[in-house]
Amino acid sequence: MITLSNIEKVYQTKSIETVALQHVNLSVPKGEFLSIMGPSGCGKSTLLNIMGLLDVPSQGMVEIDGQPITTYKDKELAHIRNEKIGFVFQSYHLVHDLSVLDNVELPLLYRSGVSASERTKLAKAALEKVGLSARTKHFPGQLSGGQRQRVAIARALIGQPQIILADEPTGNLDSVMGEEIMNILLDLNRLDGTTIVMVTHDENMAQKTERLVRFFDGQQVSDAKVFANNLQQV
Amino acid sequence: MIRHLFKLIWNRKKSNFLLIAEIFFCFLVLFGVLSLVTYNVRNYTKPLGFEHEDVWLVTMRPNSDSTAQNRQQLEQVLSRVRAFPEVGHAALTSSNAPFSFSQMNNSLSYGEVKDVMTDNYDVQDAYDKVMRLNITEGRWFNPQDNASHHSPIVINKMLKEKLFGQEEAVGKLIPKNDTTNYVVVGVTDYFRASSEFAAEDPALFNRINMDKSPDYFWNELLVRVKPGTGVAFEERMVKQLASIGKDWTIEVSTLEKMRQNKAKLTLAPMIALGLVCGFLILNVALGLFGVLWHNISRRNGEIGLRRALGAASKQIYWQFIGEVLVLATFGLLLGAFFAVQFPLLQVFQVESEVYFIALLSSIGIIYLLTAVCAFYPSRQAAGIHPAMALHEE
Repeated sequence: MITLSNIEKVYQTKSIETVALQHVNLSVPKGEFLSIMGPSGCGKSTLLNIMGLLDVPSQGMVEIDGQPITTYKDKELAHIRNEKIGFVFQSYHLVHDLSVLDNVELPLLYRSGVSASERTKLAKAALEKVGLSARTKHFPGQLSGGQRQRVAIARALIGQPQIILADEPTGNLDSVMGEEIMNILLDLNRLDGTTIVMVTHDENMAQKTERLVRFFDGQQVSDAKVFANNLQQV
Repeated sequence: MIRHLFKLIWNRKKSNFLLIAEIFFCFLVLFGVLSLVTYNVRNYTKPLGFEHEDVWLVTMRPNSDSTAQNRQQLEQVLSRVRAFPEVGHAALTSSNAPFSFSQMNNSLSYGEVKDVMTDNYDVQDAYDKVMRLNITEGRWFNPQDNASHHSPIVINKMLKEKLFGQEEAVGKLIPKNDTTNYVVVGVTDYFRASSEFAAEDPALFNRINMDKSPDYFWNELLVRVKPGTGVAFEERMVKQLASIGKDWTIEVSTLEKMRQNKAKLTLAPMIALGLVCGFLILNVALGLFGVLWHNISRRNGEIGLRRALGAASKQIYWQFIGEVLVLATFGLLLGAFFAVQFPLLQVFQVESEVYFIALLSSIGIIYLLTAVCAFYPSRQAAGIHPAMALHEE
C-alpha cells in the first residue's frame, strides 16, 4: 500500500542543516495496522507527513498503491490525499466555527461530484460509526477531548480512504478515552480492512497493533510484528 | 463550496462584525458619492439645448433713477450693438441668462395638471438666433405676436410633456393670472440654462415687447459675436456703449467664462467628496488587508488541515478570496437594503436609474476592493506548507 525507499529528509537553513530522516525503507502492506514509536524529535511525524504526501523527502521514493508519486504536481497530490488518505491528529484539528457535521463533511468538499445532501448523509453515517450521531449540531468547543477525536476519526473515514495516518491520536486523552479511540481504529482496521499507520508514545497502544517500527535520531532502529504482547522481529 | 463559505462567515459573524460594519459604511459613503457623480455625469452628457460659444453677456446698471432717460439710452445701446459688424445677433433678456446665478420661476397649471414649477425667461425676438435654439414644434416669436390678445410663450419639451402629455402644445392657452392667458406658439427640444451639471427643468420663454413696457429696463443683453472676435472688440464696444449710457456701469462676460464658474460650483464639492471617499476607501483597504493577513496567520492550522484533507494550493487561494467576497456580501446586503430605499422613496426627486447605477457601481467597487485586498494574503495562505502549518498548530 505504502512503500518508502531510501527516504532522507534534511531541513536546511542558512546556517544549520538538520537531518530528520535517513535511509528509511519501509513497506506497509494493505490492511496492516502499523505503529511507529520513538522519542520526541526522532522523525516520526516527518515520516507520517511524507507518507501522507504533506511533505516531500529530500531523497528517496514514495509509492502509494504501487504508483511512485515523486513527480506528482500539487493538484495530483491533493487528489490522492483526498481519495486515499485520512488523517487523525493529536490535537484533533477541528475547525471551531463549524459544527460537528460540517467538520466531518470537509474532505468531501474537495471531492467533485458529491452533492450537499450526499455529503450530509455520509457525514451522519460516519458519525454514527464513531458513536456521535447525537452531536451533529454541536460545535467542537462543546465536546470533550475524546468526542473531538471521534469527530476527527469520522472526518478521516468519511471519504472511505484506504489509508489512515494517525499522529498520536490518543496523546491528548486520558486512558479511558484513549482506549475508546484505539478500539475505533482497531475496528476500522479489522472490519473495513483500512490500512492504519499510527505514531504513538504509548507502548500499550502500540502493542495492540500488528507491527511496531521504532525510530531513533531519524533512523529506523527496529521493525517487529506484534503477537499478543510479544514482539517478533521482522 | 459557496454554501460552505457562507456558513463559515455566518458562524464567525461575531468576530467578523467590525469588518462587515466597515464594508457597510464604506458602501454607504461610496453609494452617496457615486449617486452624486452619476447624477452630474448623466446631466452633463445631455444636450443643453443652446450654443453658448461666442455669446457675450453685457450687463448694464444705470446709476440714475430717470426711467425715461435710461430707457431711451437702452434703445440707443441696442441699435449701436446691432450695428457693429462683429455682432451677429443681440437680444435683451431677464437677469437669469444662461449660467448666471439668478433664477426666476412661477407655477403653471393646465386642466388637471396643477402647479408645475417653471423657469421663466424674458427674451427678445432675436434670442433664438443668439442662443441658436432648436424649435421642434410651432415657431419662435415674431412681430405678428404684437397683435396677440394673449401673452405668447415658447416652452421647452419638458414643460410640454408635464402640461399636455402627448398632446399638441401649439395654440394651447395656459392661465397666466385671473385675467390673461399665455398662448403657446412654439416648443424647443431642450433648455438647461442653469448649469451643465443641472437637470433640465420645465421652462418657458416670455416675449419682451418693448413697446408694451415703455418704462421697463432690461439690464442684460446677450450678444452673439462672430467667431474669433476678441478682447479688442470688447474694449471698443464697452467704450462706445459707455459713451451712450454715460453714468452706467457696463460689464461684459462670456457665457463660456460663466459656464466655467458654474461648473466649478458643482465640481469643487464633488472633488472634495471624492477625495474624502478615496481616503476612506484607502483606509478600509488597509484595514481589510491587515485583518486578512492577521487572520491567515491565525488560521495556519486550518490551512494545513484543509491541505491534508485534499485541498490543492489553488483551492486554498480561492477559498480565502471567496471568504472575503462573502464577507463583503454581508456588508453589501445590509448596505443595499438602505440604498434601495432612495429610489423606492424617490428621495431628492432624482431618477431611479441614477441610484441603481450608483448602487451597482458601488457593489462592483467594493467587491473589487475586497478581492484586491485579499489577493496577497490569500496567495500567502496558498503558499503555506501543509506539514509546517500542522506542526505549528
